[in-house]
Amino acid sequence: MIGEISHFLSLSAVVLLSLVLIFNLFFSLNKFHPNQLILSMRLFNQACWLVFISFGMYVYLAISDDFSIAYIASHSNSQLPIFYKVTSIWSAHEGSMFLWIVFLTAWSILFINSLDKDHPLKKLTLLMLSLVILGFLLFLLLTSNPFERILPFGVIEGADINPVLQDPALAIHPPMLYLGYVGFVISFSFITAYLLNGDFELLWEKDIKNWSFVAWIFLTIGIALGSWWAYYELGWGGYWFWDPVENVALMPWLAATAFMHSLFASSKSNVLKTWTMFLGILIFALSLFGAFIVRSGIIDSVHSFANDPKRGLYLLGFSGLITLLALSIFAYRLPALNSSKLVVTGSKESFLSMNNILMVTSIFSIFLGVTYPLIIESISGEKVSIGPPYYNTIFSPLILIAAVFIMISVDALWQRSMSLRALFVTVTAPTLLSLLSMYLIWRATAVFSILAYIGIFSGLLILFSYLFRTINNVFNKKYINKGSAVAHVGLGLLFFAVSMNSILSYEKNLNLAPGQSISVNESVQEFSFDDIRVLKASNHDVISAEISLMHDDREIFLNPQKRQYATRGQITSESAIHASVLKDTYLTIGDKLENGSWTFSLKINYFIKWIWFSAALMVLGMLLTIFKKKVL
Amino acid sequence: MLQARKNRLWKLIVILFLSAGGIALILFSLNSKLDLFYTPSEMLQAELKSGYRIKLGGMVKNGSIKRDGTIIKFQVTDFVKEVPVTFDGIPPDLFKEDSGIVALGYFINGMFEAEEIFAKHDENYMPPELYMEEDKV
Repeated sequence: MIGEISHFLSLSAVVLLSLVLIFNLFFSLNKFHPNQLILSMRLFNQACWLVFISFGMYVYLAISDDFSIAYIASHSNSQLPIFYKVTSIWSAHEGSMFLWIVFLTAWSILFINSLDKDHPLKKLTLLMLSLVILGFLLFLLLTSNPFERILPFGVIEGADINPVLQDPALAIHPPMLYLGYVGFVISFSFITAYLLNGDFELLWEKDIKNWSFVAWIFLTIGIALGSWWAYYELGWGGYWFWDPVENVALMPWLAATAFMHSLFASSKSNVLKTWTMFLGILIFALSLFGAFIVRSGIIDSVHSFANDPKRGLYLLGFSGLITLLALSIFAYRLPALNSSKLVVTGSKESFLSMNNILMVTSIFSIFLGVTYPLIIESISGEKVSIGPPYYNTIFSPLILIAAVFIMISVDALWQRSMSLRALFVTVTAPTLLSLLSMYLIWRATAVFSILAYIGIFSGLLILFSYLFRTINNVFNKKYINKGSAVAHVGLGLLFFAVSMNSILSYEKNLNLAPGQSISVNESVQEFSFDDIRVLKASNHDVISAEISLMHDDREIFLNPQKRQYATRGQITSESAIHASVLKDTYLTIGDKLENGSWTFSLKINYFIKWIWFSAALMVLGMLLTIFKKKVL
Repeated sequence: MLQARKNRLWKLIVILFLSAGGIALILFSLNSKLDLFYTPSEMLQAELKSGYRIKLGGMVKNGSIKRDGTIIKFQVTDFVKEVPVTFDGIPPDLFKEDSGIVALGYFINGMFEAEEIFAKHDENYMPPELYMEEDKV
């Protein structure tokens, strides 16, 4: 019964949103009536609340184990803790789409009600938001209905959530990511409304600035959590695979980052205005493209959901339609848009433009990497895939250019050029120090890889530039933009950590019997397989190995495990990780061989924790920017 | 021609030239960094250079897994032909007989030496190409 009510509420939301659209279209042909907006707002708010209540009831259904609902029956189980019963909702396509819509609705209702009653763009923004929500609700109800019942009788026990997804990081990774993706519906709708409205004296940047910043924070946290989860749960010891689905998350992130940079230029000195609007539309379009790639099954990836051509077609059609709509309005208004063309070389806005060029190049390269296999396949029928080597080659020069420009730009001012002497002073010390450090790193590690050293150099360049800038700030009382500094230090650290990780980390495959002890290399002097035990946990059996290691004169105890889950019979490995400041000792247990010995994979991962720390710094920098008074 | 127009034309030419160069570089990079995907039958038919990294997709043949220390040997089949594969390391949890995998590596002297092995996070996974093959059989 509750299932039907929940279903009915979602359907009612569709009706209300359609009413908003039809009603406004009808009145725009006739005379404007003052109560029109009030009525539309009421309808819209009610539709949003219907979606929330419907989702609330759906959560209740999941908690109360209603296995007559097909989706819940195939993704949850009565033995699960309540937390995972709830998160099982977004462990597959239908439920995660529902969550996506709930977030879309939440962002929309918050934003539209935060606008003044007589804000000139309120009505058009409302219409755009209604259109997007309506499109996705219809997608959910028509092609991927989470409310479907198993008739005439439900099953007694659910099929369980995939064990690798039973993890706190993964439980919050999709919500964070979705909050980020759909948060950019605000910039998308508002900019489209602004262009439709046609009054270009209006200032639009301020109204969506903080909303976009917060969405960016969610997107960053979402991506970082996903990568962290992959690192410790999948047992591969890697953190980023350039998988198509990771790439489609990275594209909106890059577009959003570019957007934030050019938003400053646009509002501070009136340049790049048109371009900023284009980026604001692009972010959401890329998010939609991502949804299409993940949910259509067009690309085979570890993340992709079940294949269903109908879904892909609908998503492609709908995303294409609203993107085309927004871009046509943009193109139509383009001649009338005024943006100051006066960009002074060496000024802050010139560097922000540079950032935009680099970001867009990155997006284009990734886009090509994602779509190229599809193009090749449709032309020649050959199956190809594009892996890390492509992205590494493309990104290392881009990173170097980015680093050089960040270094030069730390002292740049709005609308003023930079003297060559000042430039020379800023550049010399960081460059020399970075070169020196690079030489020392080379001497210490004796490893050389041109791509990795480009990354290390770029990272150091940024870090040293900000180091000098901070010293300048403390002793000479020179102004420093804290938010920007912290975020860029995060970026520098990210380049540095990723590159150091790639040259220093290594992997050893071992084969030992219980009680045996071996020496792996100079660093891991002793590796002892002390014991192996079988334990029982609530919904799985555990095989747990006890390993003691002498790693760089420190004794470490590790318990890598293998778990067999009762309901699905699925086996998962739980890697054991010992973290120190510089490196992680990462151990995974393999299989038992016929002679009673076990295989292990020992990975020493350098600087890996620093990768997520640098993402945290970027988020912190963004928070500082949001809470700083008078940003724009 | 007006000076302003001439300038604009020049700018346009420079931009076009630069983007053409950029795209050429990207395409060049793409071509040398592609991993071609083969099923066992396709791989045995194709004349492969041994230094060429490829992806092999198929099902692990029932009863073919043999272990020697950390080295695993098994046969990958598409229900038509089979290819022997060796891999040094720990395969993913979902690696088992009669399940779909994708191996990345080199085909050398009739033996596929895998550097990495992927199994999907789903126990019912089969590489999509095999669905089609199975339908044909």
